[in-house]
Amino acid sequence: MTQISLRGLHKTFGTTQVVKDLNLDIAAQEFLVLLGPSGCGKTTTMRMVAGLEHATHGEISFNGQRVNEIPTQQRDVAMVFQNYGLYPHMTVAQNIAYPLKLRGIGSAERDAAVLRAAARVELEPYLHRHPRELSGGQRQRVALARSIVRTPKVFLMDEPLSNLDAKLRVAMRAEIKHLAHELQVTTIYVTHDQIEAMTLANRVAIMKDGVILQLASPEEIYNNPFNAYVAGFIGSPAMNLIPVHSDGAGLNAEDGTPIQAQAPRQGPLTLGIRAEDMQLCASSQANFSAAIYAFELLGDSTMATIKLGGASVVIKGDKHLRLQFGERVHVRFDAARLYWFDIDSGERVRPLGER
Amino acid sequence: MPQPPKPVTNKPALIDGYRAPVNEQVAIWLRQMLVFVGISAIALPIAWITITAFKFPRDVYSLDTALIFTPTLENLQTVFDHPWNLGSKILNSFAVALGTVLLAIPMATMAAYAFSRFDFRFKQSIFMLVIASQFIPAAVVVLPYFLLFKQLGMLDTRSALVLINMSIVLPYAVWMMKGFIDAVPIEIEESAMVDGASRARVLWEIVVPAALPGIITAAVFSFTLTWNEFLFALIISKQDALTLPIGLIGFRTERGDLWELMAAGGILITAPMFLISLLVQKQFIQSLTAGSVR
Repeated sequence: MTQISLRGLHKTFGTTQVVKDLNLDIAAQEFLVLLGPSGCGKTTTMRMVAGLEHATHGEISFNGQRVNEIPTQQRDVAMVFQNYGLYPHMTVAQNIAYPLKLRGIGSAERDAAVLRAAARVELEPYLHRHPRELSGGQRQRVALARSIVRTPKVFLMDEPLSNLDAKLRVAMRAEIKHLAHELQVTTIYVTHDQIEAMTLANRVAIMKDGVILQLASPEEIYNNPFNAYVAGFIGSPAMNLIPVHSDGAGLNAEDGTPIQAQAPRQGPLTLGIRAEDMQLCASSQANFSAAIYAFELLGDSTMATIKLGGASVVIKGDKHLRLQFGERVHVRFDAARLYWFDIDSGERVRPLGER
Repeated sequence: MPQPPKPVTNKPALIDGYRAPVNEQVAIWLRQMLVFVGISAIALPIAWITITAFKFPRDVYSLDTALIFTPTLENLQTVFDHPWNLGSKILNSFAVALGTVLLAIPMATMAAYAFSRFDFRFKQSIFMLVIASQFIPAAVVVLPYFLLFKQLGMLDTRSALVLINMSIVLPYAVWMMKGFIDAVPIEIEESAMVDGASRARVLWEIVVPAALPGIITAAVFSFTLTWNEFLFALIISKQDALTLPIGLIGFRTERGDLWELMAAGGILITAPMFLISLLVQKQFIQSLTAGSVR
């Protein structure tokens, strides 16, 4: 039951500021995901919590107690590394048992704990193998087992799934979610994959250039993105961001295509709308019309892409829909599902009381 | 009718009816000659020593008995007798080499770890200094060493030889092992620290086992260097601490060079190294190819 707080955290490598004045409170038992592109400071932030990096400024505390000066070994955190960090000369069982061995726990108790942890991630048949004899997914499960063999104050996971193939990633994601739910240990999870963030997190902190842009539940981030960057990062496909121009005569895309919508202000803007919030319709109901640029079948749905100037706009369609290249389509949307952003700063332009 | 199997040849013509052009054949022939010369240069002296060690003195110089002669084990026995006493010299060599390795390798491991993993001021310069200490010719430092050990009353002791050999071996060992430790992924160390291991335990329980092939390589290299060391042993030792290479000079007598005994001594020097390298060959190859599969 550990509550973590980061206060005014800074990290500088040479002259590069990697983390800038970061403030973050993580509730006990929370599953917090740090999400962002590579180089955004998310891994550095986690490494500071682990004690593998020293904070240049600022305070890290567990349950109100400053831990900056406590070395990694005594912070009682468990960490899963991107490339697993398994000990190559030890068997799976020895790898899992190592944290217990370091704590001077007797071998009988150790063996029992190893078996329990291995059973949780279905590793029992491999206990006597060496890491080099395992597949990537099995190695990742060894790393997981090693982190859950004891009950640490905090779980830290640094892109644990990014070295796995797509199918395995989905399966391991569910395992991690289940484990986190069962063990009820405060978890910080670093990833650049927005789907992992959406599926796993209680709250997501979206980071860019060393600062947190938005800290909220996945649902809130999806439905109410702080700015155009967050909107374009979250969702699959990500939100369509269309540069538009609004004047007295109406609203037009870059290429002049008229769009039937009420802009919150005049001048250039970025219009944001999600693929599932648009439908193809008859020309009489359309908010805008364009020619099909590409059309993809996904099985459970279809994706129609059109171009409005330089912007690609993806529309999610029914799974039975079939369209031809160049075919002219008419699109409608609910005006309440539109997002407006400043075209330069990317910040939200909020129409009164709404989005 | 079944075709007879084609004779296996090592000719370059792999395809039926194809013959390499003449200039290519010449190139291949030249290459084979070069390999042959290279192998001969290494193998012939060893072959000569091995043969000579089993010859009676009268057969050593005669061309008639160069390859066909009556073999004897007498030489291998004689070298252990007075005045040669190679037995005590083998013991000295072994003690000095083992002592050097046992002290130098742990020290080199720690130094290499520090050079590999820690950031400190003048790290590059200090590392270069360690390596550069080997650029000083042995002949320059042999007299200072002699005077130093004379002052310390350590002349003609194995400890003095161990200390000198360490000064030779350590820079090489540090340099070699830094490379091997660099190849150990940092994540497994961080992982161990998160698991609760102190720096010392990380070094001995994680890094050393992971770099073991490299450490063994460095140990064998150090042992060989010490085992074969001649100049310092010649100057520092006189009677009690004489090593095997010094023992060999004893076979140059007023009666002339006793080649058959020197060859027998040569076998005694070479054989242990030969055995050790056979034993660790697997490790050695592994460490030479380290990183290629990771």
